[in-house]
Amino acid sequence: MCCSNNITEKGLQPGTPDKSYLDRIKGMQFFDPHIHMSSRTTDDYEAMADAGIVAVIEPAFWLGQPRTGIDTFRDYYSSLIGWERFRSSQFGIKHYCTIGLNSREANNEALAEQVMEILPLFVYKEGVVGVGEIGFDDQTPAEEKYYRLQLGLAKEAGLPVQIHTPHRDKKRGTTRSMDIALEHGLDPAMVIVDHNNEETMKEVLDRGFWAAFTIYPFTKMGNERMAGIVKQYGTERIMINSAADWGISDPLAVPKTAALMKDMGISDADIRMVTYQNAITAFAQSGQIDESDFTTVKNIDQSLKFSGNTILRGGQQLRTDKSSIIIR
Amino acid sequence: MMSHYQSEALKILLSAIVRQNVTPEVWNWLNDKVSQTDGSRQFNIAFVSVPRKTGKSLIGVTEEQESALRKEGAGLTIASWTIDRLCRVWLLAMLNSADKARYFQTIENLFLTAEVGELVALYSALPVLAYPEMWSKRCAEGVRSNIGAALEAIMCNNPYPAAYLNEQAWNQLVLKAFFTEKPVEQIIGLDERANPDLAKTLSDYAHERWAAKRPVNPQIWRCTGKFINADIFPDIERLASSEHDFEREAAALACSDSHYPPAQELLNKMPGIKSSITSGELNWNILAEKIKNHVLQ
Repeated sequence: MCCSNNITEKGLQPGTPDKSYLDRIKGMQFFDPHIHMSSRTTDDYEAMADAGIVAVIEPAFWLGQPRTGIDTFRDYYSSLIGWERFRSSQFGIKHYCTIGLNSREANNEALAEQVMEILPLFVYKEGVVGVGEIGFDDQTPAEEKYYRLQLGLAKEAGLPVQIHTPHRDKKRGTTRSMDIALEHGLDPAMVIVDHNNEETMKEVLDRGFWAAFTIYPFTKMGNERMAGIVKQYGTERIMINSAADWGISDPLAVPKTAALMKDMGISDADIRMVTYQNAITAFAQSGQIDESDFTTVKNIDQSLKFSGNTILRGGQQLRTDKSSIIIR
Repeated sequence: MMSHYQSEALKILLSAIVRQNVTPEVWNWLNDKVSQTDGSRQFNIAFVSVPRKTGKSLIGVTEEQESALRKEGAGLTIASWTIDRLCRVWLLAMLNSADKARYFQTIENLFLTAEVGELVALYSALPVLAYPEMWSKRCAEGVRSNIGAALEAIMCNNPYPAAYLNEQAWNQLVLKAFFTEKPVEQIIGLDERANPDLAKTLSDYAHERWAAKRPVNPQIWRCTGKFINADIFPDIERLASSEHDFEREAAALACSDSHYPPAQELLNKMPGIKSSITSGELNWNILAEKIKNHVLQ
């Protein structure tokens, strides 16, 4: 999520796109385990597919303003397992999600109670790979209450947990999130602690949790720092995501970081671990990820011709020439 | 209207096909779930968790079973189904329907929280649900979906829409099938439910496509032949002078469906195609097949 940053004249100038990094990661496959595609455009889906992203996880989150009724929660969860899943498949990207009540909206207790009632309807659905993103924001008693209740739900359903760690008072919030998870008897191997930085990661890894890093401009990790972490600490239980959403963020953060890591001399095998394999290993504990599905969703034949025009099977979207001013 | 919906014979057939496609453990699990009498909670969990038990591979069906199904199920075709889809449809077919209001609410709630695979199964199950007239609004709502797989489950090889949608909803289904480039030859009742209003709508649609210089599926004229009049005839003439074989064949087929004298005359000007229509070498289904094979080349 975006926050304020210091504005300079230089910072306001538009950049020129340089896509040469795509050549350096050609043939590599990426899995972005945290991205809010409902807030993104079809152009993003196309660019992600072109950059080698084969699958994503979309955690349920805050929409930028609070919801006022249970029906909008229900429709949002439905859209994650329905419409967005379909939209993604049109670009050959396999879409999974995690379902949960985010920390901010846990503070509306009357509504939170109703949300807790409908969550069991969704967490058992196909392609739901965890309970998330849950945890702390302001670290209020209400946030703690619904965090605990959802840890119970995850345990009952045998699903991994995707924890959002707070922007403010991050270090203590992260420690507290892990303390509570252990208190509820969760196996740290089933818990992905998200939005780590240099200050939080050591404790997360030492206690046996998965450490996810969000490459997000201005407020979270930058990818040079990220590459430095992988160089220093290796790849065990580390994964990278974009958390791209409605703020200034980058849905190509994972492939871009892979290219940067390559430039900085990190091996392909290590890059693969942090941009693909570790996320799959962690979330496949849900029993809901089958890597062969990544190819199935790609098997959409665009070569079919009808009266000289390409037609689409399986709902695949035609490509348009973005550089042309002609729109047909 | 259709007494064979919810027929015992259809259920027995489906049961046999399910049984031969799952392990004994899964078969027992499924039977255990439908025999639960505590209502919707157990049923919901079973419906949602089917793929975890069954996997998602394609089912095997014998030719005899397929033809028996088509007969008992008014054209229902399941050969391309996956096992999770079949088992979910079977669960729905077996659901106790004695309490009509409760039965409706249980299934309606499944629709409200369905993911894509569940939506496909739910719409596929329309022909085997009890109180068939009760689902026509839900079916029409499904046609408004933009999720391709859900649309195909309603439109393709599903006998429910032709039997229960009113004309307005039916026309939307056909138009949307063309619009979203679905295999329209798989729409059950496509020829039988053709009507003047649909013919006019499809003709307008063709004009829009022509104006945009976009291709028009020749099968559009399959639904217009019987209603060729002074308004539609110029479209058919245009088609008859096309450089594409498929379009000329479609024009001839449309004319052969028509009693409008100028259409008959036009057909006589295409003696080659006319004779293959008379001999049975060409009909709409054969044309559909030819187009498909051409597309796949």
